Amino acid sequence: MNFNRFREFLPSGGVLLSEESKRVYECDALSAHRVMPGCVLLPDSVEQIQKILSYSYLNNIPVVARGAGTGLSGGAMPHAEGVLLSLAKFNKILEIDSVQKTARVQPGVRNLAITEAVKSFGLYYAPDPSSQIACTIGGNVAENSGGVHCLKYGLTIHNIMQLKIVTIEGELITIGSHAYDSAGYDLLALLTGSEGMLGVIVEVTVKLISKAPHSRVLLASFDDIEKAGNAVAGVIANGITPAGFEMMDKAGVRAVEDFVHAGYPIDAEAILLCELDGSEEEVEIGLKKIKILLKQYGAIEVRVACDEAESELFWAGRKAAFPAAGRVAPDYYCMDGTIPRKHIAKVLAGIQILSEKYKLDVINVFHAGDGNLHPLILYDVAIPGELKRTEDFGSEILQLCIAMGGTITGEHGVGIEKINEMCIQFRDDELEQFHAVKAVFDSKNLLNPGKAVPTLNRCAEFGAMHVHRGEEKFSELERY
Amino acid sequence: MKEKVELIKEHVFDAIEQKKPLKIVGGNSKAFLGRATKGSLLDVSDYSGIISYEPTELFITARAGTLLSDINNTLFKYGQMLGFDPPNYNTRTTIGGVVATGLSGSRRPYSGSVRDSILGIRCINGLGKDMSFGGQVIKNVAGYDLSRLMTGAFGTLGIILEVSIKVVPIPEAEMTCSRSMTKGNAIVKMLELSGQAISLSGSCYYGGVLYVRLSGNENSIMATKKKIGFDTDEQGVNFWDQLRDFKAPIFNSEKNIWRISVPITTVPKIGDSQFVLDWGGGLYWLNSDRAPKEIFDMAEEVGGSAMLFRGYDQKQEVFQPLTNGLLSLHQGLKKAFDPHRILNPGKIYASL
Ligand SMILES: Cc1cc2nc3c(=O)[nH]c(=O)nc-3n(C[C@H](O)[C@H](O)[C@H](O)COP(=O)(O)OP(=O)(O)OC[C@H]3O[C@@H](n4cnc5c(N)ncnc54)[C@H](O)[C@@H]3O)c2cc1C
Repeated sequence: MNFNRFREFLPSGGVLLSEESKRVYECDALSAHRVMPGCVLLPDSVEQIQKILSYSYLNNIPVVARGAGTGLSGGAMPHAEGVLLSLAKFNKILEIDSVQKTARVQPGVRNLAITEAVKSFGLYYAPDPSSQIACTIGGNVAENSGGVHCLKYGLTIHNIMQLKIVTIEGELITIGSHAYDSAGYDLLALLTGSEGMLGVIVEVTVKLISKAPHSRVLLASFDDIEKAGNAVAGVIANGITPAGFEMMDKAGVRAVEDFVHAGYPIDAEAILLCELDGSEEEVEIGLKKIKILLKQYGAIEVRVACDEAESELFWAGRKAAFPAAGRVAPDYYCMDGTIPRKHIAKVLAGIQILSEKYKLDVINVFHAGDGNLHPLILYDVAIPGELKRTEDFGSEILQLCIAMGGTITGEHGVGIEKINEMCIQFRDDELEQFHAVKAVFDSKNLLNPGKAVPTLNRCAEFGAMHVHRGEEKFSELERY
Repeated sequence: MKEKVELIKEHVFDAIEQKKPLKIVGGNSKAFLGRATKGSLLDVSDYSGIISYEPTELFITARAGTLLSDINNTLFKYGQMLGFDPPNYNTRTTIGGVVATGLSGSRRPYSGSVRDSILGIRCINGLGKDMSFGGQVIKNVAGYDLSRLMTGAFGTLGIILEVSIKVVPIPEAEMTCSRSMTKGNAIVKMLELSGQAISLSGSCYYGGVLYVRLSGNENSIMATKKKIGFDTDEQGVNFWDQLRDFKAPIFNSEKNIWRISVPITTVPKIGDSQFVLDWGGGLYWLNSDRAPKEIFDMAEEVGGSAMLFRGYDQKQEVFQPLTNGLLSLHQGLKKAFDPHRILNPGKIYASL
């Protein structure tokens, strides 16, 4: 492929062809999977993106879009014969409308940069992935990313109003609007979470939220993980919607405590972090109610942060969970299943059994409020066979999530990582419907080919080893 | 219930074979919406019943023919509700129709739209394939979000069989306050209120009065009321219900009724038409006999979109025309779900 043609319309330094310069683009945060891209392109205008795509379309060149490359499912893993399209130069906030409470931004703007830019208006952008310092809003839309505050404030899909996309044929299309409702099918929802398979996002209008005047975090410890799981369901059933509701098991608490000294109780089997926000009075009343509830559900200790500083310290521990895992083992593998809240305890017990089976330790930290698990499997890539064992362990966790009525991915996407498990979660007819939708946008299958939705052939091969939808699997566990 | 699904599939296969489209209806309470369509009636109202509801999980799964009133009553018993405030035009309104039309009430800016609350859908497409997308958990990004795509598609992409919807707690207390003012002042006030961190759940200007609904606990509501300086409105509950259920006096008109969604910071040129301004300035209801083209142009001018909500000519286009790029994607999607064009063809646009 002659990628030099792209030089004709890209700025100097906008076409990377040498191995050395392409190296950093080889993988996203799922670093076990690497491919050297055919070329890396760094356009700086929408017109250039249109040209890149229409040229690629005419010449059948695969295109993989990339934001910051923090994705955890290999979504931005390059194509060996294709273009790796970096949106890094699209890092401008185009417009802030503090009355409409929206911001129009380029796709390469970092998630946290939006909140920083609107802070002076008393506003913020709600979805806050732990990777928010680095990840881009374009990547967030492509993955429908979530964060700690999604229980109350929703996922990316609930916090955006309009997108501009460029299709593989090079056409610029506006989807959604700055009004609440828009005409026609909900393409905004379709594009959100579509993992770069349907179009390249070149502009995003996000909703902004007024910062609550008051917020407070409490920390509850439990001597039994099942009690903690039930407490989560109990609080929510009582009509309380915390702004954030997180859980961590003993292994997680210890790893974190060693690292950031957040004051977590290292003898607890599990801890819950719960944040309430609103008026001072609402928060006070809510905290009282939750404290009583948590005690009823068996909390051995409930500590309310005495001020903002302590609230932040409590959160610092949670936010440091991934790096903390990185300190206790050479490598960790982050999973992302979602299950109905009522099965939290049961699934954690299941993960423990698998941990013994595969002889690999695991740390559990997760968005308990929305039943989104992030088991971190600890391993060492240098030990032959350990990566494979880790991946098999991960796959079994995902299948356990499906068997419990959940899903293989809550927020990290399918990418290349969970492509086999898609065959378990969906039937052939459903997968075919996905392919039909893909073909509407990308008839030649050039955008991020091979990701997100498996071919039926692939499933047939994979299916020889597995049974559909977890049937027959985990026969020892009760089914719902 | 299994046989009923088989029966619906049979209808689809027959329709394909005979090249005769289907006209899908639930409770038929919204027959006046959308464009007129022809075809054999496919009544899904007897595919009904709540399949799963657990208050701790904050979702409900029900068959499409389940009455909205049954769902509301069930949720109410556990102190929960549908956050998007769906209209209940008459006692036959079904949840399938609610999802297919995607219409939300006055709470929409504050607690989200129908599609915001959708977690999963089971449907039959135009090839008679029985498929499920999404699920029952709040966070789920496996596969394209086809359940949300189908929300508000007026049955043109699939026959909705079952839906899973997120539910929310009923606020501990609510109060409606009001104050008389001019339209200009009302718009400014609505924007001002939306800029504050207060728990609004309604903000609507109607007949020279700005109505505001506050939600939360008793004390915080009283504090907010004092802060904004409005008076308690005893008729409050009725006001919102009538508006949502299309029973407010303004809808009792010989003229066309338009529903126009606009960015809250814009002021479309509605002339002297009778109007209601809901959604904190984001939704106009108009009584107007102006030509549809004029209304569509007016909406487009401010970046909004209009829908001829109740009109006397359902043969013309009733939804805001789409740009060429969008229209061709819509046509492609229609083909991807319903290649024989048998599911409510023409219901939202003539060419879909
Ligand atoms: C330490 C760590 C913590 C994390 N925590 C969270 C968390 O709490 N919640 C969460 O949801 N995720 C989390 N993630 C995952 C990741 O940060 C998110 O998926 C994020 O949205 C990816 O953004 P990115 O800019 O890095 O995208 P990339 O990784 O570059 O790309 C992700 C996908 O989006 C596509 N894409 C990117 N930009 C565009 C575009 N402009 N147009 C079309 N397609 C595009 C790519 O092709 C790819 O498929 C975490 C990751 C790490 C490493």
